[in-house]
Amino acid sequence: MNPAFPSEPPQGGETASPEAPGRRTHQAQPGRATLATSYEPLPPGALEALGEDEPMEPPEQVDVTVVVPVQSPDAEVREVFQALGNELDRQGRRYEIIFIFDGVQGAAYQAAQDLRREQAARPGLVKIISFKSAFGESVCLSAAFERSAGRYLLTSPQYVQIDPLEVGPMLEALDRGADFVIPWRHPRVDPVLNRVQSAFFNWVIRRIIRGQFRDLNCYFRALRREVLEDISIYGDMYRFLPVMAFRQGFKVVELPVRHLKEWGKAGFFGLGVYVRRFLDILAVMFLTKFTLKPLRFFGTLGGLLMLIGGAICIYLAVQKFVFGQGVAGRPLLLMGVLLVVLGVQIVGFGLVGEIIIFSQARNLKEYRVERLYD
Amino acid sequence: MALSDQFLAPEPPTVRRPGPRARQANPRLSVVVPVFNEEDSLPVLHGEIVAALEPAGIDFEVLYVDDCSTDGSFAVMKRLWEADPRVRIVKFKRNCGQTAAMAAGFDRSRGELVATLDGDLQNDPADIPRMIAILEQGFDIVAGWRKRREDGLVLRRLPSRAANRLIAWIGGVNIHDTGCTLKIFRAAVVRSLSIYADQHRFLPVLSAGSGARVTETVVNHRARRYGRSKYGLSRATRVLLDLFSIKLLAQFSHRPLHYFGILALGFLALALAFAGMSLFAADPDPERGQQSLLQVTSGQFAINDWELIVVSIVMVVLMTVVYFAMLGLLGELAVKASGMHRRGILDRILNELH
Repeated sequence: MNPAFPSEPPQGGETASPEAPGRRTHQAQPGRATLATSYEPLPPGALEALGEDEPMEPPEQVDVTVVVPVQSPDAEVREVFQALGNELDRQGRRYEIIFIFDGVQGAAYQAAQDLRREQAARPGLVKIISFKSAFGESVCLSAAFERSAGRYLLTSPQYVQIDPLEVGPMLEALDRGADFVIPWRHPRVDPVLNRVQSAFFNWVIRRIIRGQFRDLNCYFRALRREVLEDISIYGDMYRFLPVMAFRQGFKVVELPVRHLKEWGKAGFFGLGVYVRRFLDILAVMFLTKFTLKPLRFFGTLGGLLMLIGGAICIYLAVQKFVFGQGVAGRPLLLMGVLLVVLGVQIVGFGLVGEIIIFSQARNLKEYRVERLYD
Repeated sequence: MALSDQFLAPEPPTVRRPGPRARQANPRLSVVVPVFNEEDSLPVLHGEIVAALEPAGIDFEVLYVDDCSTDGSFAVMKRLWEADPRVRIVKFKRNCGQTAAMAAGFDRSRGELVATLDGDLQNDPADIPRMIAILEQGFDIVAGWRKRREDGLVLRRLPSRAANRLIAWIGGVNIHDTGCTLKIFRAAVVRSLSIYADQHRFLPVLSAGSGARVTETVVNHRARRYGRSKYGLSRATRVLLDLFSIKLLAQFSHRPLHYFGILALGFLALALAFAGMSLFAADPDPERGQQSLLQVTSGQFAINDWELIVVSIVMVVLMTVVYFAMLGLLGELAVKASGMHRRGILDRILNELH
């Protein structure tokens, strides 16, 4: 019934038994899990139903797994299925579509169930994963990945955002050896204000990672299975999946695509969004550059503070000992000392980080061997 | 080596050599060569390795680690592999860097000794037999020392010399040139360590921290013939920061509390010295005149501005002392949780070897 877990017993009826927590063992073996590649296990009971009458015969080989996280009851499930399905059929690729309902029921869920029934002639074509409550897009992606069979994964937003004709070039780029293909929506059909904000966000990311990505906010992505085997996604990391992949040495390719429409309203996002984005950027910077060498991050930061504090202290010392001015009443003295102490403490954090990483070094094989010639 | 096998990743697809397998199961020496875009140098290098080791009667294998080269390096390697049964290739999925390439080579090596060699012909494989002879006098690591370097003075040699003196001084290993790739290790040494993130240049320091005997010898160094250097000056700052962690990792990784304890003691001494100096050489207070904390004015203790600030600063520094002690405990926790303290047995293995 399920290529990832062929031994699971058939589940009858609409409400399958909730997932036993121990059964969600991920594919990554202990030895090859890097610091960032153990999958976030789904909370027990997160999966409500895996679908009803799954056939037991082994599914045929699948080229492309389309993953559609659904987060709104108004999602255009049918339109997405038709757009991508027709295009993939036309190209003669064998595919499956996984809809993940992230705590969403309503019309979209109904539409997906109807689709499954309509496509009963092609078993395994439409799969449905439904969460009892919203776990976010990263958990959706990992859940879909664990159940996917395709060599390639194609993630799509819950509406037809990109011209389906672009699927062909994107998958062909994977055929030609790319590991990750991200679209560049050009020209954009958003309101100007959103475009400006998005452009700024992408500019900051570009500065940080020194990769030439013009559009990271589009979730219509095509990637090889290996990418998700090596990089775990959690929290808001799905946003930065291309960045993480790029930093890990995967070949990330950007293709200009035709942008059809955009959900979401115009205007400034809330303050919270900006704060979260900023924290995300910080996290990405830290994770991509400094996971293995925390002292390079903490050391730079702490060293800078120590330099500033030290400069202040030296300035005051010169004032006192050379010019004979009293410095006792000056808050600058306390500030200088506090800056030095703060810098020292930050360096201390970096040292503890180094210890943690070093003690885990066995589990972080930095490299991935493609083939051995013996 | 039982030490590391249980932690190895599952076997990637392996291409076996067609025909009868001429290769010996466990050669004396494994030569590990990380390769990134060296298609011109590779055939020359391989010829030199064979020419150096075959007459010396050393049974060897050569492990080329292809770090996802973008030129024809892999095709060249493949030809070498087809022609010479002693060649093995580890092909990476993606570019992982020199340290990772070395780690991969170490993990796949089968020899009793492991030599590392640059792919760019700057090292001379002819030095290897002599280095093995030195190793057999009772050492675990023989590092190469490029005494007469053929690189640019300002950009390469001076920063490198400074960094090397610092590494030797901080790491407590008396070798002149940690950056030289040409080194010979006993297999137990490299297989007991997992190196990551530019740690290959610290291998002697890290191993010496867990009990390995390290020495060095002058080796031949040649100018680049093909390709271009993949290093620059920007690397120096990173090496400098790495230095601060390397002492901790090399000598205190099993007892981080000691390291932080020493740091804390340093700060404590600083605080006390500062307090003593300041309180007895107090700044004159314009209102109360020259006095110190120990003086009693009109029957009660009085503190002037200067003393107030000194006491505040001493308190802040004392807080740092406590803070570092806490960090040390946190480090102990991390080490215990990883089980690393149980693996610190390199000392014993080496003693059994000798």
